[in-house]
Amino acid sequence: MLEVQNLHKVYPNGTRALTDVSFNVEDGEFLVVIGLSGSGKSTLLRCVNRLIEPTQGKILWDGVDVTAATGAELRGVRRRIGMIFQQFNLVKRSTVMTNVLAGRLGYVGTAGSLVGLWSAEDKAQALRALERVGLAEKANARADALSGGQQQRVAIARALMQNPQLILADEPVASLDPVLSHSILQYLEQLNREEKITVVCSLHFLDLVHRYATRVIALKDGQVVFTGLPQEIDKARFKEIYGEDAIEVKAGLSA
Amino acid sequence: MSTPKPDRWRALRLTLITLFVALAYVFAYRGSFIASGSPLDPRDLLSPDLWAKGGPLLGDFLTPDLAARDIEPVTLQLPVPVPCGSAENGAPAASGPRLVPSVPCAEPRDKFTVEGFELQPNTELQLRWRLPSGQYFPGQFITTDADGYFSAEFEARPIVATKDGVPGQIEVELQVEVGELKPSQAFFDVLDGVIVTIFMALMATAAAVVVAAPFSFLAAQNVTRRGPVGTAVYYTVRTIFNILRSFEAIVIATLFAFWVDFGPFAGVLALTVVTVASLGKLFSEAIEGIDPGPVEALTATGANRLQVVWFAIVPQIVPNFVSFIIYHWDINVRISTIIGYVGGGGIGYYLAQMINTGQDNKAGTAIWAIVLVVWAMDFISAEVRKRYT
Ligand SMILES: Nc1ncnc2c1ncn2[C@@H]1O[C@H](COP(=O)(O)OP(=O)(O)O)[C@@H](O)[C@H]1O
Ligand SMILES: [Mg+2]
Repeated sequence: MLEVQNLHKVYPNGTRALTDVSFNVEDGEFLVVIGLSGSGKSTLLRCVNRLIEPTQGKILWDGVDVTAATGAELRGVRRRIGMIFQQFNLVKRSTVMTNVLAGRLGYVGTAGSLVGLWSAEDKAQALRALERVGLAEKANARADALSGGQQQRVAIARALMQNPQLILADEPVASLDPVLSHSILQYLEQLNREEKITVVCSLHFLDLVHRYATRVIALKDGQVVFTGLPQEIDKARFKEIYGEDAIEVKAGLSA
Repeated sequence: MSTPKPDRWRALRLTLITLFVALAYVFAYRGSFIASGSPLDPRDLLSPDLWAKGGPLLGDFLTPDLAARDIEPVTLQLPVPVPCGSAENGAPAASGPRLVPSVPCAEPRDKFTVEGFELQPNTELQLRWRLPSGQYFPGQFITTDADGYFSAEFEARPIVATKDGVPGQIEVELQVEVGELKPSQAFFDVLDGVIVTIFMALMATAAAVVVAAPFSFLAAQNVTRRGPVGTAVYYTVRTIFNILRSFEAIVIATLFAFWVDFGPFAGVLALTVVTVASLGKLFSEAIEGIDPGPVEALTATGANRLQVVWFAIVPQIVPNFVSFIIYHWDINVRISTIIGYVGGGGIGYYLAQMINTGQDNKAGTAIWAIVLVVWAMDFISAEVRKRYT
């Protein structure tokens, strides 16, 4: 279980990105975080694996205080939390295989990994992960030779290499068209259902939220303004969350 | 990150500028500086004296010393019996290099003139008597005119008298070019100098890369600047780079000359220091300019800092690093030419020697070689960079 308790984040320039955010995520949930651009979704997800340092508050994961972890302990926490990004964040000049293997870096020795000595097991696992996202034949291609949707699938394979218990996905489909969006989210849904991997995912479009979320929390100006089931979010709620920009977001929906 | 993007036009311009500077230097040094004994004065450009000296000089530069034939000494002789009738008179040839005495034979202490035809023009030669014993008796030095002609007084001394029917002979030793045209000594010396210069630049660049590459990560904000220790390291390395960069290679070369002899070693050392500073800055800027996404992604997998650098940063900077390294090798060839000129060895040093000893044809060879090398390095470095990125 992931417990976020009274989380605050104030950036050095004074921006209050998160204010007193508290919520729990049960194992096996597909939690979707919604909110306007700038409402603090990315900040929240990055606080969970400490890519961003929270200013105040606590994050407990299976009872372990993530906010207090340092050094090797923190890396130990991180390697069980996969992360997917809007911009895929692959190393573009490296091969697909190298990108996927990089997901194992938290598990292997520094010296061996630097000279590229990967165990047969790791390589086999990487191939299985690529097969799972349907890209086994692209293993030796350079990452930047792939389309956006393919790159995001490689990123999922990389996260799988971590044997994660939790996947954080920060707007994983915001750079993709609707058809590809569904294909990517279906992979996440499959991992969530079959591997019992907890997913915390931020999304922009209401129809995707309705289709994939088991639970939803909404952020507005860094504060939680809604927690509940996806069906509870009707047009009125939606307008409440998105304010005057609601029309704009809906326009995106019909596209 | 801004490496200049040279094209053909840049290369041509570079060639012309180099040529112009080299010629201007030589004109100024040999013409004005020596003529007036005072430092450069623009008015000297109008002095006819300068142009009188510069003109032939320009000619020398346009006819660099590239090829020569082997030289063999050849002795030109003609019997002149002393006294008359003691032996058969010599018969001068009708054409070709020849000695023609005004008399076919002479009595002791007679004076006569000897003319030489079709010899090497403008050359100093020694006239002598070959005695019947086989030894020779040295005579005066003469210089042929532009047509290879001379005329000189000879005296028939008693010592040259015919002995056992063998007459004395007048003779002159000529240096005759024989065989095929071959690359001259200057050609090989220049080639040698060019190779030394290119290697000085290569060694300095390679040594600088070894030092600058690791330190550039410490001077990159997105790698090092975390926590008080990281921030301190970042500013320290950055400051060292900045201080080193404010020195000129030639100044540092002079400083090093106090430690080690002024020569290629001091030159390479100085060049290395300057290159470390410059590459360090270029490298760290390249590192700061990377896409932070992969760094974030790999940090999130639980990779440690070294692994993140190696897997997320290094692949992104390789093309930039390669292009900076080649760019700097190119620059260093030019700088090491200049360092060489003030004593650092290589082609620059050769050029300085030739200019200072007035061997302008050889200096010309060196200048043409420098122009060629600078142009070629510029071209190659541009091509490689184009291909690699
Ligand atoms: N590194 C940063 N420094 C200062 N302010 C930031 C930084 N990152 C984000 N912010 C600000 O924090 C707020 C929340 O941003 P973010 O978490 O990216 O929101 P979202 O992902 O929902 O668009 C915004 O006002 C944004 O401008
Ligand atoms: Mg965001």
